[in-house]
Amino acid sequence: MNCRSEVLEVSVEGRQVDEAMLALVHTILLHRSTGKFHYKKEGTYSIGTVGTQDIDCDFIDFSFVRVSSDELDRVIRKAVGEFKDLCCALQDAMGNGTDGMGQISLEFYQKKKSRWPFSDECIPWEVWSIKVNVVNLANEQERQICREKVGEKLGEKVINIVEVINRHEYLPKMPTQSEVDNVFDTSLKDVQPYLYKITFQITDTLGTSVSTTMRRLIKDTLAL
Amino acid sequence: MAAHFDTEYQRLEASYSDSPPGEENLLVHIPDGNKSPWHHIENLDLFFQRVYNLHQKNGFTCMLLGEVFELVQLLFVVGFTVFLANCVDYDILFANKFVNHTDSSKVTLPDAFLPVDVCSARIRDNVAVMFVLVISGVFWLHRLIKFIYNVCCYWEIRSFYTNALKMSMGELPYFTWQEVQARIVEIQKEHQICIHKKELTELDIYHRILRFKNYMVAMVNKSLLPVRFCPPLLGEMVFYTRGLKYNFELIFFWGPGSLFKSEWSLKPEYKRGGNRLELAEKLASRILWIGIANLLLCPVILVWQILYAFFSYTEVIKREPGSLGARCWSLYGRCYLRHFNELDHELMSRLSKGYKASSKYMNCFLSPLLTVVAKNVAFFAGSLLAVLIALTIYDEDVLAVEHVLSSITLLGVCITICRSFIPDKHLVYCPEQLLRVILAHIHYMPDHWQGNAHRYETRDQFSQLFQYKAVFILEELISPVVTPFILIFSLRRKSLEIIDFFRNFTVEVVGVGDTCSFAQMDVRQHGHPAWMSEGKTEASIYQQAEDGKTELSLMHFAITNPQWNPPTETTQFISQLKERVQREATGDVHAHTHTLTSLSESEPRSLIANFLAGPPSLASLHLGRDGSLTNQGPVGISDGASGLRSLSINSMRGSYSSTHRSAGHTSSASRAMVGSSTDARTASSGSSAWEGQLTSLVLSEYASTEMSMHALYIHELHKQQSRGELSRHTWHRQDSDDSGDSVTEEGAAGGRGPDPRHPIPRSHTFPVSTPTSIPSSNSGPPPDRGATPGQEEAPPNSQRRHWGNADSVGSDGRGVRLARVPMGGWAEEGQGGRHPDTVPEEGSDDDMPPNIHKVT
Repeated sequence: MNCRSEVLEVSVEGRQVDEAMLALVHTILLHRSTGKFHYKKEGTYSIGTVGTQDIDCDFIDFSFVRVSSDELDRVIRKAVGEFKDLCCALQDAMGNGTDGMGQISLEFYQKKKSRWPFSDECIPWEVWSIKVNVVNLANEQERQICREKVGEKLGEKVINIVEVINRHEYLPKMPTQSEVDNVFDTSLKDVQPYLYKITFQITDTLGTSVSTTMRRLIKDTLAL
Repeated sequence: MAAHFDTEYQRLEASYSDSPPGEENLLVHIPDGNKSPWHHIENLDLFFQRVYNLHQKNGFTCMLLGEVFELVQLLFVVGFTVFLANCVDYDILFANKFVNHTDSSKVTLPDAFLPVDVCSARIRDNVAVMFVLVISGVFWLHRLIKFIYNVCCYWEIRSFYTNALKMSMGELPYFTWQEVQARIVEIQKEHQICIHKKELTELDIYHRILRFKNYMVAMVNKSLLPVRFCPPLLGEMVFYTRGLKYNFELIFFWGPGSLFKSEWSLKPEYKRGGNRLELAEKLASRILWIGIANLLLCPVILVWQILYAFFSYTEVIKREPGSLGARCWSLYGRCYLRHFNELDHELMSRLSKGYKASSKYMNCFLSPLLTVVAKNVAFFAGSLLAVLIALTIYDEDVLAVEHVLSSITLLGVCITICRSFIPDKHLVYCPEQLLRVILAHIHYMPDHWQGNAHRYETRDQFSQLFQYKAVFILEELISPVVTPFILIFSLRRKSLEIIDFFRNFTVEVVGVGDTCSFAQMDVRQHGHPAWMSEGKTEASIYQQAEDGKTELSLMHFAITNPQWNPPTETTQFISQLKERVQREATGDVHAHTHTLTSLSESEPRSLIANFLAGPPSLASLHLGRDGSLTNQGPVGISDGASGLRSLSINSMRGSYSSTHRSAGHTSSASRAMVGSSTDARTASSGSSAWEGQLTSLVLSEYASTEMSMHALYIHELHKQQSRGELSRHTWHRQDSDDSGDSVTEEGAAGGRGPDPRHPIPRSHTFPVSTPTSIPSSNSGPPPDRGATPGQEEAPPNSQRRHWGNADSVGSDGRGVRLARVPMGGWAEEGQGGRHPDTVPEEGSDDDMPPNIHKVT
């Protein structure tokens, strides 16, 4: 596939899943969002500002920065929440004491208008896959250790993400007004991330698929 | 630009909650506004394949017309067959029944046709015909949909050519692929077709176009595919047809449940060694199902094949019956002879160049018994025919006698067939030389052929690569019946090996995806110690490509794509080899200047002399740089040169002189071969015949000649290295006799007796029972590069200096293949230095880590 792919891997406890995922997804989106574009005449535009916000985690010793856009946060929380529910359901089904595995992918794509017989293509240019290992902990002390360890790990991952993003690599070209929908998600009021979708998938430790791949398209103009 | 807009203050209508008004004026951006739709193409594999196909099919219109006609042809084949079977009254045609015409007694063709209603009733009543019609109808619809889809896709590619590459469809046939490719590489910088890399290399494009073909070539190279069979009575034979190939590809690459997830990536579970047994089982059951499906569809495919063959070949056979006796390169041959990363047109042009020599070679082997029989049969048939024709000329009513016309036709065919068994009177029997010329073009050949060119075994094996057209058609015809059994009984057994192959030989290349690791042409990983890469290769026997495929492919790719920048190690290998070849060429030149110039009288003598001789200073420079050079190849290069001499002298001359003029041009190939551009330019200034013909086509012609030379050289070196003795042949000695220098060589080498009777067959693709013995380098560190600075001051007589150099190098244990070293000692050492690695056992790599690693 003609797209970059980055893989992150974390091991967390069941109740930390959503916070860890939120931290990572939000960090990536923070760097993949711009302010709203305001097109002026003669093909120029100016960029609005983006606010940021510190978020502290409850179950992890960690805080992260996210775009201060409640709308965006809501969308992502919903996706992550579903993922977490699936994880928990899986663990219940497998019985306690087993470790689960799951994967969230955050895919940035670009739309390409096609001629009539074909529908618009969505061509991904960057995919972040976050592999999650859900572990079970026996006692409170282990939880405490885990709390710190996961915090450290997440900090590493954040630096990792920033390093990747700082590389000079392909980004879609800045679009003209008519094409802005092909590159950016313009549905949000206060921020404008690159078009993205979040998909997730749950597997057990054996690697076979338990539930069929759950796909969720957060944003796809085709559906609108 | 921006400053201009700064001055125009204007308040925007949009409201901001978080930015003070007016701030946006400080930062005004101009969108890239790149309307080009060619950035970031999703499926680059398909894209490049289509770009290549469109180029090969000479533009959009040609392709469109071709496809339309194919569709029409399909309709015609089915329609015409049904018509012939159901709507013709053969009784009328054969005049068994009389037509009751009132006006005339002439029978016309329309009389033989049944009326429409009778006809359609007959068709409707016949279940089998209806079945065939329905099947072909579905098939045709499928083709039609595919066609429409293709037209849409290729329209896109067409606009890519015209808008992005700036090539109009009209002039596309006159561009070479290398030119197209160069433009693609160029526009990558601007459009970023592939997003992983800033710049695209030629190798990336080749990898994408040839991803699956490289796998197939590698599998044939490692003898993984079941294409060799030993049926009773027939002896060993190769059976590889289009149907079989289609099924292989279906199973491995794109069919439902194939090993590949998408065109660019192998499924992850196949990259892990953990559950290989399970996967092999899965693959085996898939092969079984596909085999059964083939078996069920067999009647349909068989009928189709027969119909198709009948309609496409009857006309040809009637026109020139001899064409069935003609030969063509078999499908297996094309796979066996193909380099890694070699596009179709490159392969075809190479094989076509070898065609003439190959058919000559095969014609050497006409059985004398058959010849005698054929001569006499032809005599009798000819006399009968002559009488019949004479009678017909006298009175053409003879034709009206029953079967006279048909017997004339049959006798004609019979004579033509017989004639093909009677050898040309002027044919000279020189199989060894012919085989060498063939080798110069086809580049691959099992070791045991050399020196055994006159034997029937060699001929039979060569005929597996170069088969009769008739055999080809026959194999295609029986393919639908045989294929399911090959799949079920032969391929299924290999499923574990196949799984292992894909796991071990797949690498993930950034920006390309999963490719066959052989196609990386990395001498270190897949080199074969017996093929020039000793000391450089770290491959186990399992990993080595047979027949010097890695090395030859590398040379081929480097020569056809002079712009390509290989990794440093590879560059070293290439330049070293080129230097060696050039050194041999310059060293041995005096021997061949005469012969070459005498063959081409019209050419100014100085040109070729200059080219082949090269300035002595340059030769000494090469010696200084490469201390490891030994004198193992004087015979090799004289072989090569004689092989080359029999190449088309004209084309060589043309390319040489024009390359001289282009010496300042980009081609590194020309730089390597042409010693010094200035020398050559002054020399060639006299001939203006080739002025202005500096096209890349000429360069590619030149490149193929150079590749031939390298192939001969590598093979020769390999032969010497592995056999440990120089087998000489009479024609060969005659060649050398032309020159004074070579005679001295022979004198020096005279101690060894020629012994061509004991060939050591060692090819895995042409398995022969004798175990292989591959001498491998066990010499210590590579020789010091600065070890021979003194040599540079040596007198310009390069021939002498070579000897001197060889001596000095031989002393550090590396130049042991030197001709003067006694045979036995070398052989022992060679055996002792055998590579310790063995083929890994089936079970041993069960828990190996996956062999997938990133290659940048």
